[in-house]
Amino acid sequence: MGHEEEGTLAKRYFLLRRLHSLTGILPIGVFLIFHLTTNSSVLWGAANTRAHADDLPGRGIATFQHEVSFINNLPGLLIMEITLWAAIAFHAILGIWYATTGKSNTARYPHMDNRRYALQRLTGYIALLFILYHIATLRWGWSFLVPGGVTWGHEHAASTLALALRGSADSITVAGLAVSLFYFVGVTSAVFHFANGLWTAAITWGLTISTAAQRRWGVVCAGLGILLMAMAWGSVVGFLFTDPEKAREIESAMHPEEDSTEHTARATTDGAP
Amino acid sequence: MAASNAQQSGKRHIRLKILRQEAQDKLPRYETFDVQPEPGANVISCLQQIAARPVTASGEQSTPVAYDAGCLEEVCGACTMVINGRVRQSCSCLIDQIAPNDGDTITLEPMTKFPVIRDLWVDRSRLFHALKRTSSWVPIDSIYDRGPGPKELPDKQEPRYVLSTCMSCGCCLEACPQYNPRPDEKDWDEAFIGAHAISQVRLFNLHDTGKQLKSERLEALMGPGGVSDCGNAQNCVKVCPKEIPLTESIAAIGRAVTVHSIARWFTAR
Amino acid sequence: MSERRVIVVGGGLAGLAATIRIAEAGIPVDLFSMCPVKRSHSVCAQGGINAANDIARQQGYSEYQHFDETLLGGDFLADQAPVLEMANFAPRVIDLLDRMGVPFNRTTEGFRDLRLFGGSLFKRTHFAGATTGQQLLYALDEQTRRWEVEGKVRKYEFWEFLRPVLDELDPDDAIGHVHSDKRCVGIVAQDMRTMQIRSFRADAVIMATGGCGLIFGKSTNSVICTGGAASRCYQAGAWYANGEMIQVHPTAIPGADKCRLMSESARGEGGRIWVPRKADDDRKPTDIPEEERLYFLEEKYPKYGNLVPRDIASREIFDICINQDLGVAGQNQVFLDLTHKDPEELDRKLGGILEIYEKFVGDDPRKVPMRIFPAVHYSMGGLWTQYTQGDYDPHQPHGAHNPGDTPPIATEPGHGLKLGASNNMMTNIPGLYAFGEVNFAYHGATRLGANALLSCIFDGLYNGLSVVNAVRDAEFSAADAPQSIFDHAVADEQTKTDALLEGAGSGEIPDELNPYIIGLELGEEMTAASTVVKTGDRMRQAMTKLDELSDRCSRMKLNDAAAWSNRTLSYARSLQDMVVLAKVILKGGLQREESRGSHYRLDFPDRDDENFFKTTVAEHVPSNPDPIRIFYCNVDARLVEPRARSYGEKKAKPEQPPAQTAGAGA
Ligand SMILES: Cc1cc2nc3c(=O)[nH]c(=O)nc-3n(C[C@H](O)[C@H](O)[C@H](O)COP(=O)(O)OP(=O)(O)OC[C@H]3O[C@@H](n4cnc5c(N)ncnc54)[C@H](O)[C@@H]3O)c2cc1C
Ligand code: SF4
Ligand code: SF4
Ligand code: FES
Repeated sequence: MGHEEEGTLAKRYFLLRRLHSLTGILPIGVFLIFHLTTNSSVLWGAANTRAHADDLPGRGIATFQHEVSFINNLPGLLIMEITLWAAIAFHAILGIWYATTGKSNTARYPHMDNRRYALQRLTGYIALLFILYHIATLRWGWSFLVPGGVTWGHEHAASTLALALRGSADSITVAGLAVSLFYFVGVTSAVFHFANGLWTAAITWGLTISTAAQRRWGVVCAGLGILLMAMAWGSVVGFLFTDPEKAREIESAMHPEEDSTEHTARATTDGAP
Repeated sequence: MAASNAQQSGKRHIRLKILRQEAQDKLPRYETFDVQPEPGANVISCLQQIAARPVTASGEQSTPVAYDAGCLEEVCGACTMVINGRVRQSCSCLIDQIAPNDGDTITLEPMTKFPVIRDLWVDRSRLFHALKRTSSWVPIDSIYDRGPGPKELPDKQEPRYVLSTCMSCGCCLEACPQYNPRPDEKDWDEAFIGAHAISQVRLFNLHDTGKQLKSERLEALMGPGGVSDCGNAQNCVKVCPKEIPLTESIAAIGRAVTVHSIARWFTAR
Repeated sequence: MSERRVIVVGGGLAGLAATIRIAEAGIPVDLFSMCPVKRSHSVCAQGGINAANDIARQQGYSEYQHFDETLLGGDFLADQAPVLEMANFAPRVIDLLDRMGVPFNRTTEGFRDLRLFGGSLFKRTHFAGATTGQQLLYALDEQTRRWEVEGKVRKYEFWEFLRPVLDELDPDDAIGHVHSDKRCVGIVAQDMRTMQIRSFRADAVIMATGGCGLIFGKSTNSVICTGGAASRCYQAGAWYANGEMIQVHPTAIPGADKCRLMSESARGEGGRIWVPRKADDDRKPTDIPEEERLYFLEEKYPKYGNLVPRDIASREIFDICINQDLGVAGQNQVFLDLTHKDPEELDRKLGGILEIYEKFVGDDPRKVPMRIFPAVHYSMGGLWTQYTQGDYDPHQPHGAHNPGDTPPIATEPGHGLKLGASNNMMTNIPGLYAFGEVNFAYHGATRLGANALLSCIFDGLYNGLSVVNAVRDAEFSAADAPQSIFDHAVADEQTKTDALLEGAGSGEIPDELNPYIIGLELGEEMTAASTVVKTGDRMRQAMTKLDELSDRCSRMKLNDAAAWSNRTLSYARSLQDMVVLAKVILKGGLQREESRGSHYRLDFPDRDDENFFKTTVAEHVPSNPDPIRIFYCNVDARLVEPRARSYGEKKAKPEQPPAQTAGAGA
């Protein structure tokens, strides 16, 4: 192999590696933060006194619906989505390739860091499966994968989501519980993968060099991880215990005309009682 | 101390369970030996005992165990092996510490990341190859007298000294989940280079003359098998017998390649 | 004309320095070592490397004083010209190592720091923590790797040198003084993994195979230091000189597998040696008040104190423990105390060795005094080598040189030795050179601390040029030597190997024929008979024992018949050669009926310049009933007048009854 060629291979390799690291944070990680913030609004929205509902759960549902509607009316949404999907695909494919080069040995060397190394790979796989399921069912409408066969709709964000998690409007079915459990594991993996990835990225990029700095940054990442974990778990539990019927009422009340294009305009004025 | 050792060792027996392999293409098998450690004995002195009378615990005549050793004071790195599942030097592995009681068993296995030559003796050529890959030397002009080298303040000499105590033992590679066997020499240029070599790059890039080859070394570490293949499991730093801050070296090189790649983007023709 | 090549056997400091020197001159080198060169025994060196330097110079020290000290340390047994050249060249060695990136300890301002070492009153020892040898070896290893990448060096690691290949010498081709009718044209070596035996051609062969500590069983040396390679050269006709000069280091930690060194630098940094004045004082050492401690070295040698040369310190410790029964806890051990020093400074300057003590003994030497005893450490003797004198000839040897005196000669290369002369450090066999510890040239009857690393690197860098010149200028090329001599040499070695393996691995072996047991007995006997204190009777007794051992060696049975990676075979073969060398050491000692430096005989306690101001030379004459022929060469003493070696001893040593001669490590 000529020197030139070697150089370019090395360059590409490095670029790919760094892009892999970068995509994990931007856009995927950043999106994760926003997404969890939105979803957990079903809980924190209860504190939103300006929401279109009277009781606390209702306010949560209304806030969530409001957020979802806002996002769905952002210009260029599809482009953003495709970018995100592409980033996830890129991060996943490279990640799987890289993961095959390693061989975990936590049995012999049971250090925390080594366990995290193994978990990072495991959670990556789980998160990927979860995200695929999550997008396929809730975005692409592969309702055959959802117990109860409900299709998510952004106008009825909370109610359809609750239905998907519960398996039925009346009660939580076994299949529903399985889906919820999968959600639980999925979001946990995603959050861990992100928080731990953020910690290692600082080493990879050379931001934290000294052991002390690595420890300090570790505390920050753990803090962020715990916060995100709370939001993630909160969202799953929140929707699992949301009454789909009631949610549908609140949602319908928020946009009676069922016209999303107009809703953009409404949304801005919505704030007024 | 000598007295207390004698008490502990006394006339007690310990058992060595050794993973043996006659040659690369032969199947490995365990063999056990009973030995009576002398006061202050270490794993090597037990292996020496076995060499003189290689009779297994079940009374069968066997052969001396092949192993590598040199300094016997943990400074040459030769005697590295996996002891009770953990990689370390066998010369500094004291019997009284690892097997304090009568009848205790110690398991000895060869390192798993390198081809076995025989028994506990492995071929670590790939480790030295990594030092070639990274131009790990100071490019002096010639050996002719040109006066002293660059002046250096202690705050630079001290960290350099620590990095420079790496004895190429391979513990950091054995414990690393990203470093895996590559028996074919042709793969060595693209397989993960390992923490020791990354740390050596840091060492030579710190030296005023050594810096001359800085970009070459960094580029070598940017390719396949370079620093980005590290998965931050941080096992390396925990098993390094010389307590070299390997993860700090990895991060420092991470920063150096970040800066280097950006600079290259702006300056390279 | 075919390409000239050089073979270097040994990848310690001497071998690597030579390799770099020769490769840089454009001559390809084949480098042989029984271990990866980075693991060579030189890594063990702890304390430092000597050279005159600006600080010492401003206090009246000089290269010349370094030279004078080295001669005095060696009790004037060394030929003087090579020592002068080495001392003069020393600062250049340090500068070069510095340029290669050796992390020498630094002062606050960034200059190279210095420490005090035995046999000198000036700080002239450069150091990198307490692992100086390791750091120097790594620097040379890196440079060698660079030449390997350039294609100038080919490494044969895990290859064992078996013998030099000799061809008839055409007298017209002779270089230097002719002492042999043979010339060296290559070597036979064996791959320790595949067991393949083959020959290699070379226009010059440099032996840099280090010392022979293993002959004494437990020593401070690495397990590879058997002296086997030197013995093989000796048996092929190379002369072996001053074999009886074996240095016993005063401060080592006795262990089950080896004696680990506690470097002289511990005393250089202020460590004090003492025992409780009262025998069997069982208080904790830190509880024993100052006035009840016997600082026996400081009391007896107020000027040099704990830093008297090693043979003296070893003898004093020996005397305290064996003759006066004052050893700590009634055992053969004395205290080496650093507890009065600042622990942080200790870590910075001695970290490496303190860790060794902590790791292998379990006590913290910053808090508890260490317990140490002498152990075999270094061989001043080695293959005999010749040289061409430089241009310095004072006509009348100088007397003692005092600090501040103007040195009688400047420091450029060429005053001691003739720079680049083809025979510098060549053995009596043309084409066969000896560098490093295996070269007998520099240290006389005792080596001063931190002079060994210097002599190794000096040999490689400075005398490497001699090899370059010899190879370049020679009419004759090894390529022209007949293939048959190589084939014969290989066949011989194969026969020897086959003989050793005959009947191997078939059942239990009687101790009598077990190589590992014979090795143990050899070590015990040699340590008891020929270390700190010797007597004619004890050595004669040992000689009888060695005769028995060599007989047993010839009938040895191996417990491993493997035709692959058989390390027992390698050990057994070395053992045979070790016994041969042990006899050379003993015979030299028996015949040297005086005491000089490390060679201390109770039956002849004084130095006898009249009869023994001479180099012992041993030649292997297989046709003689006793194949060891000992003869003597005059010492080259043109430069300095030999004088008494007292180190300011305060009171004459009280005569001791010739009680015991149990050896070090006993
Ligand atoms: C514990 C200790 C501490 C010391 N500290 C100091 C100090 O502070 N200062 C100082 O000046 N000196 C010190 N010395 C002495 C010094 O380290 C040695 O004299 C020196 O390192 C010898 O170097 P060398 O190059 O001659 O041989 P070595 O480093 O011994 O190397 C010998 C080489 O020869 C090879 N070899 C041997 N036999 C064969 C064979 N048959 N076939 C092929 N290859 C072979 C080996 O593989 C090895 O590569 C110390 C010695 C010891 C033991
Ligand atoms: S930090 Fe990197 S080099 Fe060290 S063990 Fe982990 S993956 Fe290997
Ligand atoms: S970095 Fe440490 S563990 Fe790795 S080879 Fe060097 S000394 Fe051994
Ligand atoms: S023998 Fe050198 S490190 Fe153990």
